[in-house]
Amino acid sequence: MGYDASNPMKDRITDVGPRDYKEFLPPVIKRNFGKWLYHEILEPGVLVHVSAAGEKVYTVRVGGARLMSITHIREICDIADKHCDGYVRWTTRNNIEFMVDDEAKLKPLMEDLEKRKFAGGSLKFPRGGTGAGLTNIVHTQGWLHCHTAATDASGVVKAVMDELYDDFGRMRFPAHVRISLACCLNMCGAVHCSDIAILGVHRKPPMVDNEYLANMCEIPLAVAACPTGAIKPATVEGKKSVAVNDEKCMYCGNCFTMCPSMPLADEEGSGVAILVGGKLSNRISVPMFSKVVVPFLPNEPPRWPQTVEAIKKILYTYVEDAKKYERLGDWAARIGWERFFEKTGLPFTEHLIDDYRFAYTTWRTSTQFKF
Amino acid sequence: MPQLEVEGKAYEVDEDGFLQELDKWSRDFAQGYAAIEGIEGVLTEEHWKLIDYIRNYYTQFGIAPMIRKMCKDTGLSLKQIYELFPSGPAKGACKLAGLSKPTGCV
Repeated sequence: MGYDASNPMKDRITDVGPRDYKEFLPPVIKRNFGKWLYHEILEPGVLVHVSAAGEKVYTVRVGGARLMSITHIREICDIADKHCDGYVRWTTRNNIEFMVDDEAKLKPLMEDLEKRKFAGGSLKFPRGGTGAGLTNIVHTQGWLHCHTAATDASGVVKAVMDELYDDFGRMRFPAHVRISLACCLNMCGAVHCSDIAILGVHRKPPMVDNEYLANMCEIPLAVAACPTGAIKPATVEGKKSVAVNDEKCMYCGNCFTMCPSMPLADEEGSGVAILVGGKLSNRISVPMFSKVVVPFLPNEPPRWPQTVEAIKKILYTYVEDAKKYERLGDWAARIGWERFFEKTGLPFTEHLIDDYRFAYTTWRTSTQFKF
Repeated sequence: MPQLEVEGKAYEVDEDGFLQELDKWSRDFAQGYAAIEGIEGVLTEEHWKLIDYIRNYYTQFGIAPMIRKMCKDTGLSLKQIYELFPSGPAKGACKLAGLSKPTGCV
């Protein structure tokens, strides 16, 4: 029975949760669940896991654009049907993994994946993303779907991955490099804990629409949304509204999230900041937040050349200079941030000095520094 | 802006059907809108208890009440609220109560 709009609660199924993942495990994974002994990276994008029973499973990891059509998903299903008995999985960075249980099935799968291209020439299933190299960029909605975006997501990601593409299929870095992007400082995703992070930022205060604000917004919410206390209730031309103290505003856009009558996106004002040195793992050093090193670069659709250039400069300076196993944050901490700026050639400006609340701990309380 | 006709009167609403002219709200609006929202028959005393509570809270504090506060003050559990308003306290009850659309990462 189809949905009956005049009787919405009839035949309604709810609270059933996601399907049990065990329903979709390849047989070889199901048999050896919890019994894996070791794994190897055979080549970029290809893994083998060996179980206690001696069984092997080969995994081929390919890049995904994250936003994809059903046509593309069907093509992935076709490949899975053809080579992998219909099984496939997605990774936590939105790569796609095809698994086979026999080495003989590996080569035909890889050859099949390699030859598939879009009409424009882009590879549909580029192999890589393993080991000490580059993998997919965790990203957000951007101008495609979100109303608070300060920059685009898909566009910037495509531009950056095109320029760094060779390293997606190689493993020549000192350690993993995780790049992520968020189109506003809600930071959906992983920008606050990534080796290199691209973040959409604004540089102009919100434009208050006094005419409609009282009808569109709950004013106390807009006031409480401000981290710097720049918003206060006000009466403008007899109407309830808010007043923004531009001197106190740092353009975070939280008030727009709560109140649609306070938009602040601006063609010239909005753009990109770059953060570096975050990580999530506990390997050797503790997890770290990423730090701002480039306060602003303009939005330059469709290819964002300045953003791409800055990321290349940071990434390849790190790759040249860091020791084995050193994540970008480990490297910058070891050589000191003044050396980081010197080596990458990035200008250090007052924008990078923390001035939010208990900023004191981020200043240098020591005479130890390099000239 | 789209217009919604409820009980023969036109109201300005946004694309999600939230009232844009908060001062135009009336009990007729809520009752008329309930039919559009898939709530059968006339609104019961319990429906009105919640709607009136939300409106009073909004008049007093300028915001919609938090769910916990709403449940505590009206004595209705969240489950009961969903039984009264199938689309929930925000999209259902607040919409009929004539409050502005809930914002934030919803």
